Amino acid sequence: MIIVKDLHKTFENNHVLRGVDYHVHQGEKIVVVGPSGSGKSTFLRCLNLLETPTSGEIWFDGQKITDSKVDIDKIRQHMGMVFQNFNLFNNLSIMDNITLAPVKLKLMNKEEACENALSLLTRVGLKEKADAYPSQLSGGQKQRIAIVRSLAMNPKVMLFDEPTSALDPEMVGEVLDVMKELAKSGMTMVVVTHEMGFAREVGTKVLFMDEGIIMEENTPAEFFNNPQCQRLQDFLSKVL
Amino acid sequence: MQAWIEKVSKMFEMAFITEDRWKLYLSGLGVTLKVALLAAVLGLAIGTIVALMKLSTNKQGKRTIWSYIANAYIDIIRGTPSVLQLLIMWFIIMKSCKNGVLVAVLSFGINSGAYVAEIVRAGILAVDKGQTEAGRSLGLSKSQTMLYIVIPQAIKNVLPPIGNEFIVLLKETAIVGYVSLSDLTRVANQVSSRTYEAFMPLIGAAVIYFVIIKILTILLNKLERRLRKSDNR
Repeated sequence: MIIVKDLHKTFENNHVLRGVDYHVHQGEKIVVVGPSGSGKSTFLRCLNLLETPTSGEIWFDGQKITDSKVDIDKIRQHMGMVFQNFNLFNNLSIMDNITLAPVKLKLMNKEEACENALSLLTRVGLKEKADAYPSQLSGGQKQRIAIVRSLAMNPKVMLFDEPTSALDPEMVGEVLDVMKELAKSGMTMVVVTHEMGFAREVGTKVLFMDEGIIMEENTPAEFFNNPQCQRLQDFLSKVL
Repeated sequence: MQAWIEKVSKMFEMAFITEDRWKLYLSGLGVTLKVALLAAVLGLAIGTIVALMKLSTNKQGKRTIWSYIANAYIDIIRGTPSVLQLLIMWFIIMKSCKNGVLVAVLSFGINSGAYVAEIVRAGILAVDKGQTEAGRSLGLSKSQTMLYIVIPQAIKNVLPPIGNEFIVLLKETAIVGYVSLSDLTRVANQVSSRTYEAFMPLIGAAVIYFVIIKILTILLNKLERRLRKSDNR
């Protein structure tokens, strides 16, 4: 579904990604872990071109999206993204946050979008917040709404950029629950996170990134119980 | 004391009552407000467009030609006195136009546009980058994200400095006498040279400016408070 070939990204003199190759298949839940500064967020943000790769190729659904002729707005409609800082639209109500993109992009009319939004909100237990504004919600609620907002576009894949890192510890669970439920429904997911429990439980593959490359890739069981490279063993001994 | 009061009321009469001179001030104020208001609208329109031009980038994130044009415009306008700009408009660019109000509105509008552009640009940049990223990641285009998400939030940011700009603009119109418009300042000056008595006309004009701007300030504060209220719903 997503194929990444020899991806490089340089900021000024900082070579963040140094040749990443990966293939995400339909239905997989890829969890990316690694120390901060390892390039994992940059890798994720390259997948929907929020960061423009310096070199390399990214293919999505058989289309080379790093091609300059590709209409990236069209591609992004099929790739949901959830951010560390939620990034709900502060000027809009929750309902408008969710329906803005489907309506303005003419994928649904206003009524369909509202109906869809309500059923999604019900699914995450926040139906009564439809008319609230982002400033009235807790972090956990905001993040669940942010997930709903992405889902309202019926994406083929969901990208999560440290979705629980900005949350109070007691709110992490409610967001992870939504993500687990989403995983069960068969959604293809790429998740950058520090939640090792989530990686172990939900991931079909876990990637360890450091120094701009994927150092190790394995099934969760092997990844955590039998890490191969020294760098990963050090990392796991610190975080587990 | 008696004599002093008599003297002051005589001055007042000369400045405002004789020959219905108060009508002159009124029409002067009309000219001032007309020029300031139209120029403010023009300035706001120009400023918004120029700000968006200055912020425009191409696909690689590099500044566009529009951005450089906007920058040059802002540089030139801010780098020259507005009196000179007005004179250049009147005597050179629109030499054949005898409509002083039109010339003044254009000149002040173009002048104000440069300042408004920087205000609007700052207001847009003050909106968190994450808002734009969230919009773009949903598949909204650059302009849709700008229109539905960034600009509504930027308006709240720019209201105080925009109000400030309007106030500056209103007072700056006091130089339209240069293109033979009889605005409030020029009228006051004319009356004082007619009566050989400067105190009453000049202080009177100052008071009128002050009151108008005070009213404007109160209105702006009200508007700002209303927008802020929607912030903490």
